[in-house]
Amino acid sequence: MTTASSDIIRGTADMLILKLLDIEPMHGWGLGQAMQRLSRDALRIQPGALYAALHRLTREGWISSEWRVTENGQRARYYRVTVAGRRRLAAETKAWKRLAGGVELILATR
Amino acid sequence: MSRWLHDLVFRGRALFDRDGADRELDEELRFHRSMEIESLRKRGLSASQAEWEAGRQFGTLASEAERAREGWGVSLLEELIADARHALRQLRRRPGFSAIVLVALGLGIGASVSLVSVVDSLMLRRLPYGNANRVHAFWMDDTWSGEEYDFLRARLGVFDQIAAFSTDAAPYAPSPGTTGATVLPFLLSAPTLFEVLGVHPALGRLFDASDDRVGAPPVIVISDPMWRQDFGSATSVIGHQVMLDGEMVTVIGVMPRGFFFPTPEIRAWRPLQLEPASAMYKVGYLSLVASARPGASSALVNGEVQRLATLLGTRFTYSDAGDKTKGAHAIPIRTYLLGDVRTPLLLLLGAVALLLLIACANGAALILARTTDRAGEMAVRTALGAGARRLARQILAESLVLALCAAIMGSVLASAGFRVLVSRLPLQKGFGSTVAIGWMSFATAFALALIIAIIVSAVPVRHLFRGGRELGVNRERSDEGVRHGVRRVHDAIIAAQVTLAVLLVVGSTLLIRTVEQIRDIDPGFDARGVTTYNLVPPSGMLEMVQRQFYRDVLDRVAAQPGVKQAGMTNRLPLRDLGYELAVTVEDRPDLAGARRPNSLYRTATPGFLAAMGMRLVAGRGIDSTDADGAPVVLISESFARRMWPGRSAIGEHITEHWGPDPVTRTVVGVVRETHMTTLTAESPFAMWIPLEQAPVQQGGVLVVRSAAPTAVVMPQVRREIAALNSQVAVSRVQTMDDVESTALAAPLRLRFFFSAFAALALSLGAIGVYGAVSYAVAQRRAEFAVRMALGASPGTVLRQVLVGGITPVVFGVAAGSVAAVGASRLISGILYGVPATDLVSFSVSALALLIAGAAAAFLPALRAGHTNPVEALRGVVN
Repeated sequence: MTTASSDIIRGTADMLILKLLDIEPMHGWGLGQAMQRLSRDALRIQPGALYAALHRLTREGWISSEWRVTENGQRARYYRVTVAGRRRLAAETKAWKRLAGGVELILATR
Repeated sequence: MSRWLHDLVFRGRALFDRDGADRELDEELRFHRSMEIESLRKRGLSASQAEWEAGRQFGTLASEAERAREGWGVSLLEELIADARHALRQLRRRPGFSAIVLVALGLGIGASVSLVSVVDSLMLRRLPYGNANRVHAFWMDDTWSGEEYDFLRARLGVFDQIAAFSTDAAPYAPSPGTTGATVLPFLLSAPTLFEVLGVHPALGRLFDASDDRVGAPPVIVISDPMWRQDFGSATSVIGHQVMLDGEMVTVIGVMPRGFFFPTPEIRAWRPLQLEPASAMYKVGYLSLVASARPGASSALVNGEVQRLATLLGTRFTYSDAGDKTKGAHAIPIRTYLLGDVRTPLLLLLGAVALLLLIACANGAALILARTTDRAGEMAVRTALGAGARRLARQILAESLVLALCAAIMGSVLASAGFRVLVSRLPLQKGFGSTVAIGWMSFATAFALALIIAIIVSAVPVRHLFRGGRELGVNRERSDEGVRHGVRRVHDAIIAAQVTLAVLLVVGSTLLIRTVEQIRDIDPGFDARGVTTYNLVPPSGMLEMVQRQFYRDVLDRVAAQPGVKQAGMTNRLPLRDLGYELAVTVEDRPDLAGARRPNSLYRTATPGFLAAMGMRLVAGRGIDSTDADGAPVVLISESFARRMWPGRSAIGEHITEHWGPDPVTRTVVGVVRETHMTTLTAESPFAMWIPLEQAPVQQGGVLVVRSAAPTAVVMPQVRREIAALNSQVAVSRVQTMDDVESTALAAPLRLRFFFSAFAALALSLGAIGVYGAVSYAVAQRRAEFAVRMALGASPGTVLRQVLVGGITPVVFGVAAGSVAAVGASRLISGILYGVPATDLVSFSVSALALLIAGAAAAFLPALRAGHTNPVEALRGVVN
């Protein structure tokens, strides 16, 4: 069961999706799996939110997609990051690190 | 740029290839589901278990598809509709404020659209003359004699044609046999008039050189409206004979539609016949227009006019007042015909623009406040880069919806109220009929709406983006920051609004004071209960018959119930300007020859002074014994004072040259000074001669003072006149009140508009202040609660809020007053008795705005003072 704390923090989903697709182009399901696996089950994304995010990112021009056939011979839509998406990712990563650093500093304060 | 393109392609596809996009999404989701099932089975679940678990996690395929689709924002069109719906909902959340902003914008758009139509019709559209750019009128209208005209005609120089004309009116019937009870206003013009203007007839011919010879068969050229109304647009009208002034006149031509000269009230043109042998040849009653040669510069034209003036001086001897060699100038035909409509029209346009801007400020404040309600959400969304554009689009949508609603309202108002508005504009008589509101005006309304939407949304959108950049992601700080920023923007909007409002309020105060000053002028007569009737007998009517007719009319009308007095004169004060003639004053050899004084020449019957409410300051009035008695005259106060300073004028003698022979008259009465020409200028000298002693003139004005309401008296008097002689036409039935307010027209009418605009501006400003302060109070409720919990008194909080609310008003009033010093110069030409920088007007306006601002800030401030600390703090904790 997913709990509130393991849900993707609102607003960070876009950044994570861009990051994962930047590592390797993949389809929606693979993306969900990768997120769960790489965060050691700390993060999960609901399919609805996932596909909504993919469409939004596509519209923004940060990712593009194409239909390919998987190893099992099924048709699947693969997403990849565009140049603009990569720029966006860099910016968001920077902002996130600042935020996380700030949070860390406060929590470390005695 | 490429992002935009990308977005467009994406949306285009979503819009036009909706099915394809849907199918792809379904396929994608089906693939996801099958992968999920497979993965669950690998972890050891049975096929049915795996399917159930996948379904549970996934929801039904359909609902997921819905969610995904929602996220991708469907199609552009649907989004637009959604935005518009959202905008309407938001506007409905503050119905009062939205309605006020809507009404203000709607009124502003309606007024602008109407005024733009008027400006277009009168100032921009080409005059209906081929030579419109070359035609000039000569100085000193209505004073040129036939002799001077013929003299100039032989010395044209840079002008290639010149024409003399004079307006006239006579009883008329469309066909012989019917008796003339209507009056046809027409123009007597030299045959060259149409060549000067460069116009051709729509039907038939215009005058030729033989038509103006004395004794030539009488002919007439008619206007398009007359042709349509009286002859049903029949082409057979050429050669048709009409009854005019008791004779048969042949219609020879019809002018094209839209042609007018010199006013749309003139319905026909007749040749002016000049007879050097007649006494009229030397009387100045004509106006002159001339066309300059193509390419002649205005400097050349004016030089030429000076040359002609000098030439006139070598031939004619002029008195001081009527010296044509002085102040000679050529007036461009548009200025001549339309008078100075430019200044009032541009002033009104400016005022409307100010009002629109003020209403825009209210709109911006309305939307800004709404946007700030969601400050927290906004800050986070903008910090994450998402949503700012969406919010901006929503703001724009709200502004657009507001502006478009206002445009629709404005268009409806403009088309419904256009005639009323035009009738209230200070236009010269008849020109109201030439202006019309067209489709272009409605296009203007919508263009205005777009501009307004951009202005209204500019401030909130700019604020939104700047806010997002400044705020980062810290939610608490961002909220406070946004609020503080919004307060600053609100204050700036209020200050700007008040600045603009000051301009309108100062303008209207100046005009109100002007009208007051003019109203305070004693016109010298008493207009209350006075009705006037122009009597136009056919020119063939014998002198004896005419005199008897006037006597009978006066007797019968005076005997009517409710009528107090009835009198006749040749021309009404204020309305009919009329001739000034040189008079010779006995015992004043210094005022002989060219230095003879001029005086207005008026006739009067015994009842006239009483009917007009004019009073004598010395001597007696005209009485019945004058009919057969010695020649007498009444003169005006200023005339008496100037000619016989320090002593009584009664019993002195003056000689007038009106009739064929000079007549020396004894002054028997001095009339209290009466404004004869305009209310605001000093009257020229005036004299009144008993009608019975004056050579009979074409027609006159019947003046009736009654106790009964004018609406009852008017038809009664008309019936009496018709019963006496149906050949005599009655025209221009008017109350004297009407005459007086027409004389007041320009300031009175401008005052009407400016007062309305100023009242609107004042209330919009107050509403703006009220809205902004209320909003700030609502936002700072928690802060006030804390302060009060810490011991601040309600009075302190109230004072603080009040000061905060009034500060931008004070700034606005200061800025507006400075701006008004410059702007009021624009209306100085219309002001009377009030300087453009009138301290009283400025102080009153500033005070009005300060009071309105303070009152508007007071209510919310009172609310802030009554904040319940406990209640408000609970809101903070929750």
